[in-house]
Amino acid sequence: MQAAHALPSELTIYTVSEFYPQCLNWVNERTTDEVDESAVLCLDAQGVSDVDAAGVQLLLSMSNSLEKVNRQLLLSNPSQALSDACHAMGATCLMGATDVEVLKS
Amino acid sequence: MSEANADDDIVNEMLPAFIEEANEQIEALEQLLLELEAAPDDRKLLDTLFRCAHTVKGSAGVFGLDRVVSFTHHVEALLDRLREGFVSLSPALSTLLLQSNDVIRTLVNNALDDQYQVPEELVLRLKQATQAGSSAKESPVEAVAQNQATVLPAPTDERRWKISVNFGVDTFRHGIDPLTLLNYVRALGSMSDVVCETQQVPSLDAFEAENCYLNVEFCLHTKATLDDIEQAFKFAREDCELSITALDDNTQNIEASTDAASASGESPLPITSGDAGAVAVATQKPQRQRAAGPASGGSDEGGFIRVQADRLDEVINLLGELVIAGAGASMLARQTQQRTLVEANQQVARLIEGIRNSTLKLRMVPIGDTFARFRRVVRDTATELGKDVMLEIKGGETELDKAMIERIADPLMHLVRNALDHGLETPEQRSAAGKCAQGKLTLSACHEGGNVLIRIIDDGRGVQRDKVLQRAWDRGLVDQGVVPPETEILNLIFAPGFSTAEKVTNLSGRGVGMDVVRSNVEALRGTVSISSNAGQGSCIEIRLPLTLAIIDGFLVGVGPSKFILPLESVVEVIANRTSQTTVDEHGRSCVELRGQVLPVVNLRTLYALDSPQPELSSVVVVRSGMRHYGLMVDTLLGQHQTVIKPLGMLLRSLRGVSGSSILGTGEVALIFDTTSLGQLVVQPRVVTSQTKRSEGSMSPIVNSHL
Repeated sequence: MQAAHALPSELTIYTVSEFYPQCLNWVNERTTDEVDESAVLCLDAQGVSDVDAAGVQLLLSMSNSLEKVNRQLLLSNPSQALSDACHAMGATCLMGATDVEVLKS
Repeated sequence: MSEANADDDIVNEMLPAFIEEANEQIEALEQLLLELEAAPDDRKLLDTLFRCAHTVKGSAGVFGLDRVVSFTHHVEALLDRLREGFVSLSPALSTLLLQSNDVIRTLVNNALDDQYQVPEELVLRLKQATQAGSSAKESPVEAVAQNQATVLPAPTDERRWKISVNFGVDTFRHGIDPLTLLNYVRALGSMSDVVCETQQVPSLDAFEAENCYLNVEFCLHTKATLDDIEQAFKFAREDCELSITALDDNTQNIEASTDAASASGESPLPITSGDAGAVAVATQKPQRQRAAGPASGGSDEGGFIRVQADRLDEVINLLGELVIAGAGASMLARQTQQRTLVEANQQVARLIEGIRNSTLKLRMVPIGDTFARFRRVVRDTATELGKDVMLEIKGGETELDKAMIERIADPLMHLVRNALDHGLETPEQRSAAGKCAQGKLTLSACHEGGNVLIRIIDDGRGVQRDKVLQRAWDRGLVDQGVVPPETEILNLIFAPGFSTAEKVTNLSGRGVGMDVVRSNVEALRGTVSISSNAGQGSCIEIRLPLTLAIIDGFLVGVGPSKFILPLESVVEVIANRTSQTTVDEHGRSCVELRGQVLPVVNLRTLYALDSPQPELSSVVVVRSGMRHYGLMVDTLLGQHQTVIKPLGMLLRSLRGVSGSSILGTGEVALIFDTTSLGQLVVQPRVVTSQTKRSEGSMSPIVNSHL
């Protein structure tokens, strides 16, 4: 699936406030769109190099917003940093995985 | 954006404090590691070591210094294996830990510099050492532990914990990143079933980007105790509700943990039965946990406050002015001859003196911390040189001005290295010389006559006078064939460009050290001297004034000139005696004091003061080291709080004087340096009939023989 938009390289407490209005726009775009194909908001996540809990939380909020209107958030090609952060926080739903990886130190 | 900047500012503001505190922990780690070498099985030491490493790791985690966290984790893992008896401390392991501590120090000090690479080889060695402990599971310690397992499981047994963390709404604003915290907790063991309650996160319309809505639950499989796990959340206590539940049906085990928690000062934890044998051991509100803080021990909980040194300096400068102004007011009060005014001024003077003493004490720190730093130097240097050296520290509690301690550390370091390199011999050489194979280096400090006396004593080969002399001849420091007196030969070591090392090592022997040591010590108004017995060792003595700011002085007058002696060096006073003195066979002036001959300096002659000698004068008996000598003065003006001001360029070469002070009248008084003045007493030839007298002024006596 073609990603509609790309996530910024930094998704941290320092950037979430700035990025939030953008997220709102993207979600609103999808919610008002009636076309079936747009039931999924696909974001290109390969460029995320710096992410913290605040960043993951914002993605969770986006995901919850979309779920409310039967839409879905899909992160395509998530970077290692983002994937690690989501797994570490138990936010694996963002990765589209149902199994929880056992993380060892 | 502005909030992000504010957070950045907070981190930048807090980082220096973190670095300073982490460095203290790292310093403590080093000392503990060195102590551990002498007592490898000391459980208390091992526990403290582990705690220090853990604290560094924890605070680095809060600042997101991942490299520090991950490297310290390896060290911590190894320390844990040591603590549990799976690994025993060998010299090689001790070196590995010390090197690792150095890396932690570098990482902390370069916290913001991504360029510094952690040596992979060191990480590998740490892992190997830790794994070596793991593979030795069948060690006797473990066997015993397993036998006891039915009664009380060994604390090393891995257990499963269910942990639920409910982060507060302001978590992010307080600089806590739950992700970093979780990664940190993961380091305690293995984490599984991590579930974030995603439904707690509101949808975007009700979402505040900087609020935290995260609740995370996970299972932790770890050897860590309940205490350890709680410690991991130490830095987020105010920002989260924490619930830790043991997934274990061994209730005895749980009770043991609970007891441990109670012992650490917490109130008893609720124990309730749960499903499938799960027993809840801890469900605590943040406030409860905070109360448990002091028991778990940070290094800065002893009622100390940190004060910036320059603020203290400002107080001391003002105090100096207050002392001078106070002395002026007292003098004016005396002139009015009003008793009540004089008494009121005396009361003020007493209070000023009290404030002065208390304020100066604020700057005093024990020298022991500086001495302790040399343990590592001695250990590493001796190993490098193939020598066996024991370091003895005496009088570490002796206090010295902080500024002074900072500036004396480098000269001391050089002297210690010098003693290790040149003074102490290899075990073979020592055995051949009939000495104990282990060399001894002693660092001692004590107060003596208003000075601090630091000694660096070694029992090595001593200074080889013939080599020193030969080198002095070769270098042209002494005319060929001329043999100076014994003490002067030794003092040649402090001459610029002097080195007797046959081969230049990377430790010392470049000949740039000893003269720099002397100039550094002299810059602190101190002196350095050496004594040595061939084959038995050397002793270097450094004498330093207690403080660079204010002293108790004894004011004397010679004609219109005023001088101040440090009060500690004044032994007694012979008042109003005849000004006549006898001259001994060396041409020195002497007086008789209770049947003993006391050499006397006539200040009028010494400094060519132009005022007539009165018929009667007083002799102040002064102590300098082991010697006593007298100073002939006209008037005794009594005790005087003296604010030391540096000498101007013109008077800096004046021998016997260390500083100046402003009196209450606005007059300037010179402060005597009793040690160098004492040298003038025993070397009367410096003052000769050729000494130029300049009309109406003092002529600086040129330091011709140095």
